[in-house]
Amino acid sequence: VSRPRLIPVLLLKQGLIVRSQWFRIHQVIGNPMSTVERFSNWNVDELILLDISSADFHDLRRDDLQQRYAGSTTLDVLREVARVCFMPLTFGGRVRTLDDVRDRLSAGADKVTVNTQAVEEPEFVTEAARRFGSQCVVVAIDAKRREDGGREVYTHGGTVPTGLDPAAWAARAEELGAGEIFLNSIDRDGTAQGYDLELVRSVTTATTIPVIACGGVGRYDHLPAGILEGGASAVAAANIFHFFELSYPHAKRVCIDAGLPMRQVGLGSRFFPREPRYPEGEGRERVETRLRAAAAGPPDDTEPTPPVRWCARCVYPSTSAVPLEFDETGVCTGCRVAEAKVEIPHAEWERRRGLLVETLERYHSKDASTYDCVIPVSGGKDSYFIAHVIKNELGFNPLLVTYNGNNWTPAGWRNVHRMKEAFGVDHVLYSPSVELLKKLNRLGLIVMGDMNWHAHVGITTTPVRVAAQFRVPLVIWGEHGYLDQGGQFSLEDFPEMSYRDRLEHFARGYEWNYFVGLEDISEHDMIAYKYPSDDELFDLDVRGLYLGNYVYWEANEHGPMVVERYGFELADEEFDRTYRRMSNLDDMHENGVHDYLKFVKFGYGRCTDHASKDIRAGLLTRKQAVELVRRYDHVKPGDLARWLDYVGMAEEQFDRIADTFRDPRVWRRVRGEWVKDELWEERVADVPAKSRAGV
Amino acid sequence: VRGRVAIVDYGLGNLRSVAGAVERLGHEPVVTSDPGELERADRLILPGVGAFGDGMRNLRERGLVEPLTRLVTDERRPILGLCLGSQLIARESAEFGSHEGLGWIDASVQRIATPDPTLRVPHVGWNEVRQVRESVLFDGLADGSLFYFVHSYHIDADDAELVKGETEYGVRMAAVVERGNVYGTQFHPEKSQLAGLTLLGNFLERT
Repeated sequence: VSRPRLIPVLLLKQGLIVRSQWFRIHQVIGNPMSTVERFSNWNVDELILLDISSADFHDLRRDDLQQRYAGSTTLDVLREVARVCFMPLTFGGRVRTLDDVRDRLSAGADKVTVNTQAVEEPEFVTEAARRFGSQCVVVAIDAKRREDGGREVYTHGGTVPTGLDPAAWAARAEELGAGEIFLNSIDRDGTAQGYDLELVRSVTTATTIPVIACGGVGRYDHLPAGILEGGASAVAAANIFHFFELSYPHAKRVCIDAGLPMRQVGLGSRFFPREPRYPEGEGRERVETRLRAAAAGPPDDTEPTPPVRWCARCVYPSTSAVPLEFDETGVCTGCRVAEAKVEIPHAEWERRRGLLVETLERYHSKDASTYDCVIPVSGGKDSYFIAHVIKNELGFNPLLVTYNGNNWTPAGWRNVHRMKEAFGVDHVLYSPSVELLKKLNRLGLIVMGDMNWHAHVGITTTPVRVAAQFRVPLVIWGEHGYLDQGGQFSLEDFPEMSYRDRLEHFARGYEWNYFVGLEDISEHDMIAYKYPSDDELFDLDVRGLYLGNYVYWEANEHGPMVVERYGFELADEEFDRTYRRMSNLDDMHENGVHDYLKFVKFGYGRCTDHASKDIRAGLLTRKQAVELVRRYDHVKPGDLARWLDYVGMAEEQFDRIADTFRDPRVWRRVRGEWVKDELWEERVADVPAKSRAGV
Repeated sequence: VRGRVAIVDYGLGNLRSVAGAVERLGHEPVVTSDPGELERADRLILPGVGAFGDGMRNLRERGLVEPLTRLVTDERRPILGLCLGSQLIARESAEFGSHEGLGWIDASVQRIATPDPTLRVPHVGWNEVRQVRESVLFDGLADGSLFYFVHSYHIDADDAELVKGETEYGVRMAAVVERGNVYGTQFHPEKSQLAGLTLLGNFLERT
């Protein structure tokens, strides 16, 4: 009669989904709307949204992204989420008054969680239940282990101990009129060690209302124990749903296989297509608006910008396009994750390599009907390194897959073709029509200020399509870019490639269908950019592993190795915008025009990325890095001439379009000139010590 | 044919979710308490979360009882009541005293009387709906499809023929009622994903 539920929890901070560790560290994952849409598609039983913002204000960061919404308060976000949330929605965070409850319910929540307020004023629970019904009052309990082995309830986001015993408090909350208990373990949060089952049991035996267990799930098979051993009515988790492709359907399958009578797995409902639906004519309108703004030119003076600050250790700015946060000492999450990575002992890398081999053993082709895995290759040093590990160190038979974006450097073109000989493997090179590529280059610039949309989406789509067609479930990528650069995940997360990453990060929210109808592009033209369906991905159990999670990854070391051993060629000539010569040979514009646009938009470029990596690797001092950034980040690159000729655009038009994308948090116009804060003259004094500007 | 759908705003209920669902189905929702707007709509939805007495009081205070009754009973405009909305269309309710309802179907509203002491009221969660009689609302839906319920009271129809779908929570009770152009679901189709939107789509396109 009452079915056990599997509930994803989304933590919202300043309007964005974050990953949480011990309630203290929060790494930005992405935009809530597209995630909630997909939950509706997957038959998610219920959704819990917890707002952990420090203030009722948020900053949605990038203007070039497709996903935008009006307003800037918690309730604005809730209202938008409610429009795409076709499942029961529980909303929590900073509920202090009956009006707060009413506002959340009328903005679209079905239930509201109450935490601190319930402890401080228990009658509040009774009043809320009387006024709105007990079914919509969920008492949230955050518990932490005490020295003596007991547990204690904490309030204020896990910071203030109350002396209350979780089981006794839960029983009291039930008496007061709570309809449900949402129980979270602070110690287990983000640790991937599984539920604190002792805690769950103590609370479920002390109450008769439903208990939702949360905190610590790091593997799907941690979930059923919360119900089977802990006695919970529902199991919830947050982080794990951000790590893997189709995580909710896979988690549900594991629960059902464990014997739990949950609702079935759902995929591909006709009401919730995975690909976003854009309003009729939006693309055309956006192009026209952008071109009009470019023709008009910027005003002579604009509003002053808030101060930009930089990581105290590397050179990433607070306005970085890579999601990162600064801690109380001013060091960014990217540096913190890099530190943690350096400290991983040899034995742990051995264990990780073992996990990789286990996965390869499980998925490789036993009957030789197909390849053991797909390796997406651009022919760069990382491609060589992955092929080296998979083929020559571990002895598996990969299929190499390359998206040909038609922007190769001569050395890069030779490098990609050398791989089949150097490694003795098969190689698929997939080349979209050049006419289409030219259109997508132009449109990418005008629509989102990034002419390389086609490359980012092509590179993340082609290998997965080929994998699905050849029935190869495993795709081995290199490094997880955001984990490496910004510390988006922890090293215990083992995040894998997912459609969400592809859409939100690589495609900037623009799916292939956005371009249909622009420059006479038809749906047939866009086949190269269509990702396999959820059904195909789920049935084949496609997984995109990042080798960097399993094998020690230091580009400065494996660069020389692949030169020495496999004849990998470095760049024929230096790049204009960075000092490194071994990166991005597959695409002359990636370090060139594309990266220059990043500078125009966000005020920093590839040299900042490379210098930050090299500071973390101990190869540069911060002072050296600052000098390099000063020298390279602003340079207008030489490949721009080729690009303009390729797509048929005048340089002035390019500049005018680029200017329309300048981030108002970074750039200000002063008497007709673009000005920004500079790394080498940092306005340190007027920056609050605690966190990034505005947060 | 994409018609105008009026969602009756009487100060109770998750209007935004219902409007989102209607929009998702490709129709134009108008959330309104203006009788003129109701008049212009091809179909009406009466949502609702809360107590019966409050619901009727709010409908009266906004002057909605008379125009709605005229549209539904004289003009036979299709209307779908959701949760509390599906109870308000009954003759009367026993929730916190006795209250008179809109009386568009011959039924009363009773508290869930489950004999099983382990089953708690309110009945909250996903539950199966058995299709006990034919209804256009069930087109394309498997018998036993799951819908999301949150309620302490349920409709008790005088004539069993009016009951098209039932759910069981220790006791069998009406989940879908229908009489002519008047439809009601005790569950929340707007929160029931594929099954819910299928049912709502049937109301918008097949009634």
